[in-house]
Amino acid sequence: MTAPSILLVEDDVSLRMLTARALRENGYAVRTAATGAEMWVMLEAEPAELVVLDIMLPGANGIELFRKLRRQSEVPIIFASARGSEEDRVLGLELGADDYIAKPYSARELIARIGAVLRRGGGEGATKGDERTSEVHFEGWTLSLSRRELRSPSGAMVDLTGAEFDLLATFVSHRQRVLGRERLIELSRTRLGDSSDRSIDVLVSRLRRKLSASGGEPPIVTVRGVGYMFKAEVRRG
Amino acid sequence: MRRQNRLGFRRLGLTERLLAILLLVAAVDFLANTYLFDSATTTAVQRDDAARIGELLALAARAVSREVPARRTEAARALATRHFELEWKPSAAPGELRSPDPALATRILAAGPELAAEGQRLIVRHTHGSRDVTGIVVLADGSALGFRTYAGEISLQLSFWQILPMLLPTLLLGALAWLMFRATMRSLQTLVKALRHIETPSPGGLPEQGPDEVRRLIRAFNQMQRRIQRQQAERTQSMLAIGHDLRTPLARLQLRLDGAALEEETRAELEHDIGEMRHLLESLQAFVEAGGTQIPPQRIDIAIMAATLVDSAADQGLDARYDGPDSFEIMARAVSIRRAMSNLIDNALHYAGNVRVTLARAGDAVEIRVEDDGPGIPQDRLEEVFQPFFRLDTARTRDTPGMGLGLSIVQAAVKLEGGTLTLHNKSRADGAGTGLAAIIRLPLPAGAKPA
Repeated sequence: MTAPSILLVEDDVSLRMLTARALRENGYAVRTAATGAEMWVMLEAEPAELVVLDIMLPGANGIELFRKLRRQSEVPIIFASARGSEEDRVLGLELGADDYIAKPYSARELIARIGAVLRRGGGEGATKGDERTSEVHFEGWTLSLSRRELRSPSGAMVDLTGAEFDLLATFVSHRQRVLGRERLIELSRTRLGDSSDRSIDVLVSRLRRKLSASGGEPPIVTVRGVGYMFKAEVRRG
Repeated sequence: MRRQNRLGFRRLGLTERLLAILLLVAAVDFLANTYLFDSATTTAVQRDDAARIGELLALAARAVSREVPARRTEAARALATRHFELEWKPSAAPGELRSPDPALATRILAAGPELAAEGQRLIVRHTHGSRDVTGIVVLADGSALGFRTYAGEISLQLSFWQILPMLLPTLLLGALAWLMFRATMRSLQTLVKALRHIETPSPGGLPEQGPDEVRRLIRAFNQMQRRIQRQQAERTQSMLAIGHDLRTPLARLQLRLDGAALEEETRAELEHDIGEMRHLLESLQAFVEAGGTQIPPQRIDIAIMAATLVDSAADQGLDARYDGPDSFEIMARAVSIRRAMSNLIDNALHYAGNVRVTLARAGDAVEIRVEDDGPGIPQDRLEEVFQPFFRLDTARTRDTPGMGLGLSIVQAAVKLEGGTLTLHNKSRADGAGTGLAAIIRLPLPAGAKPA
């Protein structure tokens, strides 16, 4: 398997080099560009599997550059911003960014995001269209994997802790299968690394409470002595 | 309380003061006018009286002089009327020559100059306070013609009924002045109100109304307010700019740290420092964003949001509890409201070590109470803590994170939703210990169904 190729567009020389080095150390093939113009040259020479784009680039307005890139290519984009504002994040995601990351970010954080976006985009072989929004529906609920958001059947945003989100994401991708506690910890490893069996039970009960808050039956059932099962119908896209 | 002076009386407002000045001026004016009118009338009356007395007396003196002494008593009596008594005597009694009124005599002589001619002499006495004028004319032969009449009748008729019409305009003027003063002062009162709420200035400034001086005051005030707003905006912008500029080097630092060969302990400490700087930048960003955002409100489950924040704190081993419904949907801006609740919870955990969040519907609003059992906030500083960059621990203790923006962010976020934030110190019924209660009230749309 060849290393995924990433194009990093960042105007700060040192940050560009540091980021590129961190990404290479984690097994990515990285090319860098300092401006929007350089980015176009690079992309024409050879397509990339993912672009990390600094929105505050000098020269072309970052938003404009982003729009143009989105029009011309389906390449997944991670938006990096030195503003870290909520408006930037919302705007970026609305424009079709696959993820948003605020500076300063750690190498671990960036690599996790890149990994998640690449898995979503390429893992199941469908890289086009709606798949980018990566939404999962069950019993009227909507789980957005890219935005890490859960919406109730009435459309209300329902807060989840990071661990709860990861656990729910694990459940929906393994529906109708009985999962033991250890297996759940393993599958949700990004956030549940140090979770105990007991804390899995706590997380499941919280999830159940949230998923039944608007009156319905919780879709997670206990299989005595074994673990849990997500029994609801799941629709993607 | 503030309007009491040392003697405990309520201090007069400007309107009352102006009215008092007006009434004083009117009173002095009235008294002066009354006196002048009175004396002018009196003088006129006295002149008329003197002329009448002079003419009659001159005629009587001439007539009596022509008679022989035996018939003079009779002649004098014949000439007398009810209002002008005359009596002839062979000689003047010494008492009748005393305490004369030369001024009146002079006026009488002006009308009857012959009274002082051909050896005659006039002695007039006008008893003050009485209407009577008495006197004698010493005739050429030394005999005396005594007379008694009245004077000053009209001047004494300057009574209540004459004073009333003179007082009436003054009273009307007073009432009119009161209304006008109030109208004039209204613009000043608006200004005072605006000054009190200076942290929420109206965008266009106050309308310049009222008299010239007040207009100038309002203009100066508006200018000052614009200057303050501009300075605040500039300060915010420069802080944001510093924030932006710091993010890139901070990102470099973070990545350098990630790639550096360091002892785990050192790395953790450095990570912590970077985390703190990052937190400062985030709170600055939140403060600026809470002031005005383009993001529209959306449907959120505020009960789940509160419970999730509490759960996250409890997961870190902190003493946090949530009491309330499992679900409560409202329209709000998720990020800013979440941050507001999170700030209050963090504050409680930091200052008190525990937090209890309760959520309940209260009329047309949802009430979120964030309470702790900590030391609370000194009563006289409850207002101050909302000020941006205000820190309760003045000696910048190292264990308090942030820039003193926490409550400003909460307040701005709550205000953005049309809600209110109040803080008060709890006092338990048993008096044992206190704590702080922060209450967010968010309005619900009319007709929202109860949870």
